[in-house]
Amino acid sequence: MSLTTAPALDIRHFLNGHLVDVFDTMLSMKAIPVPDGQLPAFAERMTGSVGFGGSAVTGAVYLHLSADFANQIAAKMLGLPPEEKLGENDVNDVVGECANMLAGGLKSAFCDKGYECAVSTPAIIRGTSFNIESLPDVRQELMIFESDGGRFAVEVHTKFN
Amino acid sequence: MPLKILSVDDSRTIRLIVGRALRAYDCVLCEAANGEEGLAAATREKPDLILLDVTMPVMDGVTMLTKLKEDPELKTIPVIMLTAESGRDNVIHIARLGVRDYLVKPFKEEQLIEKISRNVTLQKKEAAHATAAAPLA
Repeated sequence: MSLTTAPALDIRHFLNGHLVDVFDTMLSMKAIPVPDGQLPAFAERMTGSVGFGGSAVTGAVYLHLSADFANQIAAKMLGLPPEEKLGENDVNDVVGECANMLAGGLKSAFCDKGYECAVSTPAIIRGTSFNIESLPDVRQELMIFESDGGRFAVEVHTKFN
Repeated sequence: MPLKILSVDDSRTIRLIVGRALRAYDCVLCEAANGEEGLAAATREKPDLILLDVTMPVMDGVTMLTKLKEDPELKTIPVIMLTAESGRDNVIHIARLGVRDYLVKPFKEEQLIEKISRNVTLQKKEAAHATAAAPLA
């Protein structure tokens, strides 16, 4: 088996469907995958990340959004008007929880394929210009989505031992 | 007497969604942000039902559930796991510890109410008030 691929689990296919489900169920928002899309240059960017690790697989799920779109989905999840300006902690919590649901779903799919692992609690990165880089032998997947005029991305890093 | 439901989740958003789902019902929501706070709240409040997340800082949900089941005063409180993790072995392991039900995030508020209703009798607020105000025969 290759160091960077897991048999019988198409991470990209799984997360494309799972993200659409998370947005539909928790936010009543339709998210559409954008094949071959590029991560937009956000004026201010927010990234929610959740790591996962076990003896056979390690990695992380990142949810990249513009600060404005993050505020929009946070307001939606909290049942507030989309234009309402929320506090940083509220937006962090919603973005972290969305990342947690994505990573939890992926973790469950890995476990069902025999790749036991545990997930971390979420972490949030905010900034105007940063990149997530990985070490060698790590497989990277970037999936772009659009919803309500906002473009955002899910990035997954995985390494199979 | 309103039902007492304890929501143990490190996400304030999830606790808020649980509170919103239960707003129309005659119940009191208690909250805790991790397993340690959850155990303390369960001991103090003796809730009728606990909604429990798995991955939390300080003490995770599985450890809290294990300790809850070891406590003679708390072990009969029904627990519903409310978590993003649903791997088959994970669910079986947690089910063996004695949970009543399992709801996977993402979830709709109606699904949560349905799961809770399978374990305790949820009454709409108006119905509960009407019963309380009814004259004795």
